[in-house]
Amino acid sequence: MGDMAMVTQLGKLILLMLVLPILTGGFFCTRKNEMTRGNDRLIYMWVSGQFVLWTAFWIICVYGIFQEWFFLDVAYTFEMVSVTLAIMGGICDLCGQVRDKRKGLHLFQFSKEKKSHWIFWILFAGILLFQLIQAVRMTYADGDDAYYVAVSTIAVNSDTMYHKLPYTGGTTSVDIRHGLAPFPIWIAYLSAISGIRAVSVAHVAAPLMLIPMTYMIFYLLGKKLFAGKEQRIPLFLIFTELLVLFGDYSFYTVENFMIARNRQGKAALGSIVIPMLFMLMSVLMSKLEERKKCGLAFWGLLTCVMASGCLCSVMGAVLCCMLVGVAGVCAAVAYRRWLVLIPLVLCCVPCGICAALYMFKA
Amino acid sequence: MSRSVMMFQDYMGTGLIMAWFLLSLVYLFLRENKKQTRILFIYVPVVILLLFFNPVFAQKLSEYLGDEIYYRILWLVPVTPVLAYTIVHICVSLKGKFRMFFVLGAVCVIGLSGSYIYADRFFGKAENLYHIPESVVEICNAIESPGREIQAVFPLNMVQYVRQYSSSVRMPYGREMLMNADWNGWRDAEELCEAMEADVIDASELGQLARMTYCTYIILPQNKKIVGNLSSENYVKYAEIQGYCIYKDTLSNH
Repeated sequence: MGDMAMVTQLGKLILLMLVLPILTGGFFCTRKNEMTRGNDRLIYMWVSGQFVLWTAFWIICVYGIFQEWFFLDVAYTFEMVSVTLAIMGGICDLCGQVRDKRKGLHLFQFSKEKKSHWIFWILFAGILLFQLIQAVRMTYADGDDAYYVAVSTIAVNSDTMYHKLPYTGGTTSVDIRHGLAPFPIWIAYLSAISGIRAVSVAHVAAPLMLIPMTYMIFYLLGKKLFAGKEQRIPLFLIFTELLVLFGDYSFYTVENFMIARNRQGKAALGSIVIPMLFMLMSVLMSKLEERKKCGLAFWGLLTCVMASGCLCSVMGAVLCCMLVGVAGVCAAVAYRRWLVLIPLVLCCVPCGICAALYMFKA
Repeated sequence: MSRSVMMFQDYMGTGLIMAWFLLSLVYLFLRENKKQTRILFIYVPVVILLLFFNPVFAQKLSEYLGDEIYYRILWLVPVTPVLAYTIVHICVSLKGKFRMFFVLGAVCVIGLSGSYIYADRFFGKAENLYHIPESVVEICNAIESPGREIQAVFPLNMVQYVRQYSSSVRMPYGREMLMNADWNGWRDAEELCEAMEADVIDASELGQLARMTYCTYIILPQNKKIVGNLSSENYVKYAEIQGYCIYKDTLSNH
């Protein structure tokens, strides 16, 4: 393959994994949302935009699977939808900037940081870079890849979704449990649009996106936990990284899934969706404490995160509802704000639909 | 002992990280003042753990999800953020050189209590940007036929990689043989698998079974002992790649 072709493929992948989500995240740059002010802006836009795109993909893909669409129909439909969402998000953000007289994309603002904190940030970046290098350099032999990665490869090469046996290649009917959580088809979509083989997207490109995304969510969580004491965030992130690196104390830990099996939907559920729910619950609780309203953007994003949980795994429907339910009831009791449970229940609707489809179609 | 307890034991490994986590919960219960942090990092994990160990809840959810993935409820227990937060919380409460000693001590404790992920026995150096063995890549490239699907039988150590790389290569059996599960009724190929994995290959038996399962290609390790000759079953040596011999069915029109 020529260098030019490779550069084009990588460019497309960056567009799909970085540029489109960031632009889509413009929907959440509202005046009420303090997370999109200052140095969190770009990170928040990337993370939240990706959840919106995952939600759109989940809806289109599950519909396509039930209607027995060809894979490329799903891929091109989603491509059109994602570009439209990105343009609309970009316009929303631009309008917000003009309205609020904000200036450009605020990246990290370290000017107020002490020198020692810079060292912590560099250390954090260094450990993250090490993990990314390892993600390319090392491989983890997981038997489940024989199913998930093969599903992606089949979708790209045969233009079908879940109609071929991934292990052997024979024909089959849709397995509802996997059809409702089509994360491997999202990998196939990245492969089809970028032109890079699905196996490389799954094993190399996806970790390069998903591992940093996890830490960016932990960064946002850190911002909420250490509000007003932001200088503590880099130390928090360094210890998070260390606990992840030494988190292989059993085969089942979320840290093992995050580093070793990140191309699988269940890993994204544990290391991206669930931490994001913790972050959003933290935002909700600070709003309850300040007796402020969360705003439509917040509830929209929470719904998207719940739907993304379903894209990752059917189990995601249960886990997301369970977490939001437990945290919501605890918050309602602690702050004596029972009405907050109504929008929380409404946010669980995508998971409810997923669970109902699973029970009635299985 | 209940199934939940056994799952929890499997999940926590040596149990040291989980022990530090439980101590962190106690510490935060005593020292943390922020209400929202108390809710998220103390009450929510405790309620989740109580639900996890609740036999009625466990039974109902296992019915819905299946027993083998029930442990994933433990993913809702934020072990890593709680520990990291507690370490920072303690760290800032210390002054001077005690702070540095504590940080270094915490790093050592994490290193000793946990298990380094890249030392996991399933991790290895990637041979290519596909992250599958180079031998699989080269064999698939050699036997692929443009626009057509072909059937090939591989040694068990290769089956999990083949269709990750190429969906045009079909196999009479795949990973289900390793799992010993009756996935989609492909147990018919069990005899072929036994013939392939035998210490000494019976060429006549293997050739006949391979033809019965429509295999155009047979892939065998070069150092495998073979009694008889596969060519008598019309499987002739097609190529030698990365320590493996590829035999092709001469009666096949691929």
